[in-house]
Amino acid sequence: MLIKLLNTLLMIAVAISITGVINRTRAVWAGRKGIRFFQHIYNVELQMRKGAVYSTTTSILFRIAPCVYLGAALLAFLFIPVADLEPLLSFHGDIILVAYLLALSRTALILAALDTGSSFEGMGAAREALYGALVEPALMMGMATLALFCGYSSFAEIFSMARDLDMNLTVVLVLVAYVFVVIMFVEAGRVPVDDPRTHLELTMIHEVMCLDYSGIDMAMIHIAGWLKNSIFAIIAANAISVAFCFHWWFAAPLAVLGTGIAIGVVESFRARNKLSRNTTFILTIVAMSALVLLTGFLLIQNIEI
Amino acid sequence: MYLYALLVTVLLIAAIYLAPLRSKVWVATGIVSLAACSAIALAVMAFLGGDVAIATFITPLFGAEHLSVDKLSSLFLLIISVAAVATTLYSKGYVEGYLKRFSPAHISLHYTALVLLVVSMMLVVMSSGGFSFLFSWELMTIASFILILFEADRQETRRAALNYLVMMHIGFMFLVAGFALLYSTTGSANFSAIEGYFKWAAPMPLFLILFAGFGMKAGIFPMHIWLPEAHPAAPSHVSAIMSGVMIKTGIYGIIRLMQAIDHNIDLLYAIGLVILLSGIITGLWGVILAAMQNDIKRLLAYSSIENIGVILIGLGVAAVGHAAGSNLIGMCGICGALLHTVNHSLFKSLLFFSAGNIYSKLHTTAMNQMGGLAKHMPVTAMLMLFATVAICALPPLNGFVSELLIYIGMFNGVSDGHEVLYAVGAIIALSLIGGIVVLAFTKLYGVVMLGSPRSTHVAESSEVDNLRIAAMAIPAMFVLFIGLLPQIAIRPVTIVAEAITGADHYIAINHFEPTLTTLSYVGFALIAIIVALYLLKRRAQRTREVESGPTWGCGFTALNTRMQYTGESYSEGLENIAKSLMKDTVDGRSVEKSEIFPAAHNYRVRHKDKIDSLLGGWWVVLMYRINLNVMRLRTGHVNKYITFALVFLVAVLVLTIVGIL
Repeated sequence: MLIKLLNTLLMIAVAISITGVINRTRAVWAGRKGIRFFQHIYNVELQMRKGAVYSTTTSILFRIAPCVYLGAALLAFLFIPVADLEPLLSFHGDIILVAYLLALSRTALILAALDTGSSFEGMGAAREALYGALVEPALMMGMATLALFCGYSSFAEIFSMARDLDMNLTVVLVLVAYVFVVIMFVEAGRVPVDDPRTHLELTMIHEVMCLDYSGIDMAMIHIAGWLKNSIFAIIAANAISVAFCFHWWFAAPLAVLGTGIAIGVVESFRARNKLSRNTTFILTIVAMSALVLLTGFLLIQNIEI
Repeated sequence: MYLYALLVTVLLIAAIYLAPLRSKVWVATGIVSLAACSAIALAVMAFLGGDVAIATFITPLFGAEHLSVDKLSSLFLLIISVAAVATTLYSKGYVEGYLKRFSPAHISLHYTALVLLVVSMMLVVMSSGGFSFLFSWELMTIASFILILFEADRQETRRAALNYLVMMHIGFMFLVAGFALLYSTTGSANFSAIEGYFKWAAPMPLFLILFAGFGMKAGIFPMHIWLPEAHPAAPSHVSAIMSGVMIKTGIYGIIRLMQAIDHNIDLLYAIGLVILLSGIITGLWGVILAAMQNDIKRLLAYSSIENIGVILIGLGVAAVGHAAGSNLIGMCGICGALLHTVNHSLFKSLLFFSAGNIYSKLHTTAMNQMGGLAKHMPVTAMLMLFATVAICALPPLNGFVSELLIYIGMFNGVSDGHEVLYAVGAIIALSLIGGIVVLAFTKLYGVVMLGSPRSTHVAESSEVDNLRIAAMAIPAMFVLFIGLLPQIAIRPVTIVAEAITGADHYIAINHFEPTLTTLSYVGFALIAIIVALYLLKRRAQRTREVESGPTWGCGFTALNTRMQYTGESYSEGLENIAKSLMKDTVDGRSVEKSEIFPAAHNYRVRHKDKIDSLLGGWWVVLMYRINLNVMRLRTGHVNKYITFALVFLVAVLVLTIVGIL
């Protein structure tokens, strides 16, 4: 029980610090001093204390959607172990449940965006739905690669122990981690797929879907975003730690620093893709994850022969 | 025995015809409920005890056959019964709008066909094969043909119905050929003879012939093209029962085939690959085309194709896994496929009923005429949301449970090293299908129910009558039940799976029960978390200032509802990728770049299936050419006709002398 608690606390710590690391990295590269490390939490806290404005076009679905968005992400979050720690919840087949809970949260926000009747939010919804659909196979294949190496059952079992792996497989695992980080770029709406700092609604994806949310709803959407980020960050870090050093004190900082710095650096040096190039970008991830899976499969076959 | 059956049928039909106009539906409901009750009783008996034999008879063509209920039949009997009762109840409100337009005989014919369809579907799954199977299969086709023809005064309806009739008979020919082949080799045309046939004769031809025959009904690629034509033409409750249940009789036939192959590992493997591959193609094709459609019922029809694909993927995974020596994968696949068959019949009926509610109020199925319907039809909107979440396979509803089982089978294949590449292929396909389904159904729900109205009809719409809502509540209840208590719902399915594969169902129970029990807790937890968050938010907002205002227009103040995202624009991104699957037909002219102040344009684009033109185009042209040449012989001069007759007689004479004839 204590281990489960530690796991959950670590996950929360990871979730709230990734955004801070991203902001700090960007500031350092830009030569700025940067905002406070936990500024995003103060922002959300401020939003929590505010009232709200709801569009007259919307129905009750619009008000429930942020709760579904956060609730589903929260539930998915509880299934993720930090390296060898035990997650709060686990069962045989939870890796599929997590993927579909994330899909549920995405669907809720898409419907809410369509509920406003705004053309901009429709645009965001359409893009989010398409990119979410295309990235799904990459996510599943990443999980399948992990299942192939570690013997599948659930996240907890996949990451339950360090495995004596061949050096070649280590490379594949690092690639799996890379795939998960890139999937996170897509799911979290980060450069190069989407730019959360852009000022033009026409080119937004995730941000434009929440244009009509304010106050507590907006805070919920932000919190859910952190949770989703941390899910992908931890899975990527776990994949690497299976190969190198399998302990929670290695995986947790790796998740924060690895993904945080990666996103910060990419956002400092790259511009957002042209929207029409995004599908190519995502299909490349899918192809890449297929390649990783195939390589892993061939390597395993060789070793066993 | 025949005589009694005939007499009862005639009496029942007479009852429908003689009943007063408004009571016809109640007579039909009575008959259907009676049939459903007896079918459920038989199914329960078969589940608790062994197979129930009903009748044995000698048929003119294929010898001894019998009607009986085994475990597989009883599962399908349950599906048929639930859908049939819901459909007839629903039909009252839907048909009411047509009572003035059509004669009482027309309405009677409709209900007669509905009753016949239900009874014939029950006979199909109870028949042992051969003549009685083909007879009830054909009866099912004809009954559904009449049902599609309900609005026979519309030209599209007549065309779609004829199209359907022709396609079904091509499929029927395959079945006749298959059963004749079976009979000529083994001396029996029952399903039980197939096992012997597969042992003695080359199995693949027979399998492929029957697979094509069943696949035509199920809508397997490339034989799916009748579905998107027939469903928009048929009344909604007919679409519901056809799409929810009737196409599943094709799946039933395929499972019967698999049951016969159980002990021949090589054959099972080959057939598993055929089924898996056709499932992947059918599923992907169906879902991509579904996401493109701008007509509610066409979208739903394509989504039925996609679900058939998912079911086939499950069956394929089961067969390949079983052949590879893993009972567990076999069980996962087959249970997933069976449960998905049940699930699809529930949420697809619900979706077609919702479409029917919308159609009866707006008199159109074009999505881009709608919007904001949730405010006018709140109950329909809620039930449709249920079905949408279920069909997107999102937790905590039933669609997720069956897909989870199939996924578990595939992931087991990957981690245990059984046929990894096929399992991975299926995982990729199923996850892509899952993703695009979300795109398709958020489009459907978002454009139809949410946002603001795109036409003035919407404002005049209102909620439908309570009976229709009650009819819709039947499938909705089962959707909830299977979604939230999957550990109970899986039990009968595993028993059926045991009967099909011969593997002990305790393997499945032991394996699934912990997973599904936890899943059930997770489902309740999810609902609890969402409700808690919502209540907390409401509570917090009570003391704050909560205002309402217009939707934020990003600085633009003259917003109007025409600026909303339409269904077409919603799926544009996918369209750009999947252009090659479709053939677009365009009416009118789009706004060109050089037009700075564009005038009013009429622009209409329809995305047609490429297979449609591939299969439908060339042979029509060929027939036309042949006919053109034959027409040259028709000169209109009697003397020439007499010459033709003479030439024919001489030719017969010569051929006889030479000895060819």
